[in-house]
Amino acid sequence: MKKSNHNISDWLDQYGDPEIDKFVEKNLAITEKVRVAMEAKGWKSQDLAKAMDKTPSEVSKWLSGMHNLTLKSIIKMEQALGICLVHTEPIKQYEYVYLGTIKGVDDYAQKVNDYQESYADQAYEIAL
Amino acid sequence: MNNFAEIIWVNTYRKVTYYTVAVNDGDALFDAFVDKHAVENKEKLNHILAWIKVIGDKIGAQEQYFRNEAETADTSALPPQGVNKEPVYVEYNEETGTEENKPNNLRLYCLRANEYVVFLFNGDIKTAATPQECENVRSHFKMANKLTELIDEAFQNKEIRWINDYTEIEVDDDFLLQWD
Repeated sequence: MKKSNHNISDWLDQYGDPEIDKFVEKNLAITEKVRVAMEAKGWKSQDLAKAMDKTPSEVSKWLSGMHNLTLKSIIKMEQALGICLVHTEPIKQYEYVYLGTIKGVDDYAQKVNDYQESYADQAYEIAL
Repeated sequence: MNNFAEIIWVNTYRKVTYYTVAVNDGDALFDAFVDKHAVENKEKLNHILAWIKVIGDKIGAQEQYFRNEAETADTSALPPQGVNKEPVYVEYNEETGTEENKPNNLRLYCLRANEYVVFLFNGDIKTAATPQECENVRSHFKMANKLTELIDEAFQNKEIRWINDYTEIEVDDDFLLQWD
């Protein structure tokens, strides 16, 4: 089978606006999450509209996957569906990270001690 | 049979493989669409291609993400449409300095063969209420419906065959869709 002259990903990489790519990707991710949550509840667009006190056509527009959703409309959907659509990381000042254990701690401590002593001896000799 | 079309592979993503066709030895329809609108309607084209990629990579060609454009056959189009609403895309307004929802009236006609295989045809800016009334898209709309009909028949006749669990298709090397 022959190949098209245009590879979609190549076109997007070369000429596309990364903001548009991200917009479409995140918008569709939110829409999909809403759709799955609605399915789980057995809701149709009208049910979601009713729960948010919006018109069905407005909700359809939100769920088209190409609408510029506001934070307010996202939160309205979160409240109506009882789900979290946008996760934000908590603010951290520091975090403990487990890097592993050091085997033979006694040997290690002895080596540190030996090094410090030899360094001190050397400094003492220089001082003399 | 005066007319013929050859099936052309466009892209394979994790969830969808896209194909197009070249009519009467001309350029592939999807190539012609990209070439024309990359110049005239770059942002609108960007939105549609980004949409095709995300659907292909992450979601699959689900029915709700296409708009119905059936006349004589089961043709669809992108971008999708909400109930009684024109699809929108976001465009930066340089005068006001804001991002605005604007109708994306660029249409790309296609055939959603199943959730894994989509044929992309050609399209244009739609300027009338129906494609039949719009001089820009009428010919693309009619051609897409004709090609959809021919491809459906070719599936039934096993001239186009499903492979890899209905995720791709194969045809004989010399296979052509033909019509008067």
